[in-house]
Amino acid sequence: MTCAELRARLDAYARDALSRSEASRFEEHLNGCAECQAFLEAAEPRLARTESLARQIEPAPDLWPGIRSRLLPRGAGSRRRFLVPAWMLAAAAVLIVALSSGVTFFLSRGPASGPAASASIRAAELEAQYASAAADLALALEAARTRLAPATVATIERNLAVIDSALAESRRALAGDPGNATLEQLVVAAWRQKVEFLRRATALTTEL
Amino acid sequence: MRRLAAGLAILTAIAVTGVAAQQKIARRIPIAPDASIRIQNLPGTTRVIGWDLDTIAVTGSAPAGTTFYMGGAGRVAKLGLESDEKTGFVPGTGLLEVRVPRGARVWVKSAVGSIEVEGLSGEVDVASASGSIRITGSLRLVTAETMEGDLEVSGGSQLVRVRTGNGKIVLFRPTGDLTASTVAGPVQLLDAQPASARIETVSGAVTYDGTLDRRASLEIQTHSGEVDLRLPPSVSAEFDLYSVGGTVLVALSPKGPAPKAAKGKPQFFTAGGGGANVVVRSFKGNIRLQGRD
Repeated sequence: MTCAELRARLDAYARDALSRSEASRFEEHLNGCAECQAFLEAAEPRLARTESLARQIEPAPDLWPGIRSRLLPRGAGSRRRFLVPAWMLAAAAVLIVALSSGVTFFLSRGPASGPAASASIRAAELEAQYASAAADLALALEAARTRLAPATVATIERNLAVIDSALAESRRALAGDPGNATLEQLVVAAWRQKVEFLRRATALTTEL
Repeated sequence: MRRLAAGLAILTAIAVTGVAAQQKIARRIPIAPDASIRIQNLPGTTRVIGWDLDTIAVTGSAPAGTTFYMGGAGRVAKLGLESDEKTGFVPGTGLLEVRVPRGARVWVKSAVGSIEVEGLSGEVDVASASGSIRITGSLRLVTAETMEGDLEVSGGSQLVRVRTGNGKIVLFRPTGDLTASTVAGPVQLLDAQPASARIETVSGAVTYDGTLDRRASLEIQTHSGEVDLRLPPSVSAEFDLYSVGGTVLVALSPKGPAPKAAKGKPQFFTAGGGGANVVVRSFKGNIRLQGRD
C-alpha cells in the first residue's frame, strides 16, 4: 500500500469499513511510515470533530436546487456513485471554506523577519503550521474527492507524490545537517508548495 | 448592501435558455465598462475578447447535455454552460466566444476546456482543471491556475500570478511583478524584463531568458528542477546562486574568465557594478548562468 492509498482509505479505516486484508495492509504500511503516522496524528482531532457532527443536515429548501446541481454526475452521461455520506460532504464543504480562508490568511502573512539566531525556531514553527494546514486540507480533499473526475484525482495524486518525495528528501538532508538555513528554507518551501497545491485541489471540489 | 442589490439584480435578471443538441448561441446584453463578469464553461473552449463597446456579446455552440445561461445588469453579469442533470456532457465539446468591455474584470472557470483571453486591460482570474490557458495583452492583474494544462501569458501585465501542477508555464515579455509556481511543470520566461519575479517549482525546470533593470529582483527556488539563466553579459546585478547537491556554472561573459563550476558551494558575486538582485536556491538542481546577445 502506498502513502496515497493509505490516505485514501483513512476514512474507511476510521469507520472500520475496510476488509480484514485491507486493514492489515493499512496497518502494515502505517507501522513502517513515519510520515503517514504524522499525517494520522494530525488528522485525528479533525476526524473526531467530523464524527461528532450531526448525521443529517436538512438544507433550506431554496438552497437545495443549487447544491443538488453541484452534486450531479459529470462526464459522458454516466451517473456517478457517491460513496461518501451527505453529512460528510456537507462537513467537508464547511471545512474547505474555513480552511481556504485560514490557509490564505496564513500564506499571506509570509515568513516573519527577525534575528538570525531565531531563524531555526521560526522555520520549525512554520513547518509545524504548514504540516497542520496540509493535514487539514488533505482530509477535506479526501472527504470530497468523489466529486472530482478520476483523471483529475490521478493528476492530484501524481503531483502530491512529487511534492512528498521532495519534502522527504529535503527533511532527511536537514536531519543530517540541523540548523542549515538553506535546507530549512527549502523544507519550508516544499511545505508551502504542498499546502498551496492542496488548497487549489480542494477549491476544485467546490468550483467545478 | 450594494453587493446584495447587485446579487438580487442578477437573480431577477437571469434568463436561462434551454437549447437542444449543438444549438448555436447568439446573445448580448448591455453592461458597465468596468463590470465584473463570471463565465463558467466546464466542458468546452472559452474565448474572451476585449472590445470597445459597453456590451457583452456571446456566440458559440451549446453541445448536447448542456444548458446556456446568461444574465446581468449594471456592473455584474454571469454566463456559461451548465451540465444537464440527467445526461451530463461530453468533455471537450462546446464553444463560447465572449466579447466584453476592455476594462472588465473577468472570471473564467473550466474543467477540461481551454481558455483564451485577449484584448483586455482590466483583470482576469482564470482556472481550469486540465485545459490549457492562454492570455494575451497588458492587464492590471492576471491570475491563472491549472492542474495539468499548459499556461501561456504574453504581454506586459502589471501583476501576474500563475500556477500549475504538471503543466508548462510560458511567460512572453513579462515586465511587471510576477509569481509563477509549478510542481513538475517547467517554467519559461522569454524576452523577460520583469520589475520583480518569484518562481518556484518542485521538479520543474526554470528558464529565464531576458534582461534585468538595475532595480529588478529575481528569485528562483526549485527542489530538483534545473535552472537556466540567460542574461546579457553587461547586466548589472548581484548574484547569490546555491544548489545544495547540484552544480552552479557561471559563464556570463564570453570575454571574461573561464566558466567556473562549483558543486555544493554558494556563489556570490557582482556583475556590472551591481543593482538588480538575483537569488537562486535549489536542493539538487543544477544552476547555469550564461550570457546572451
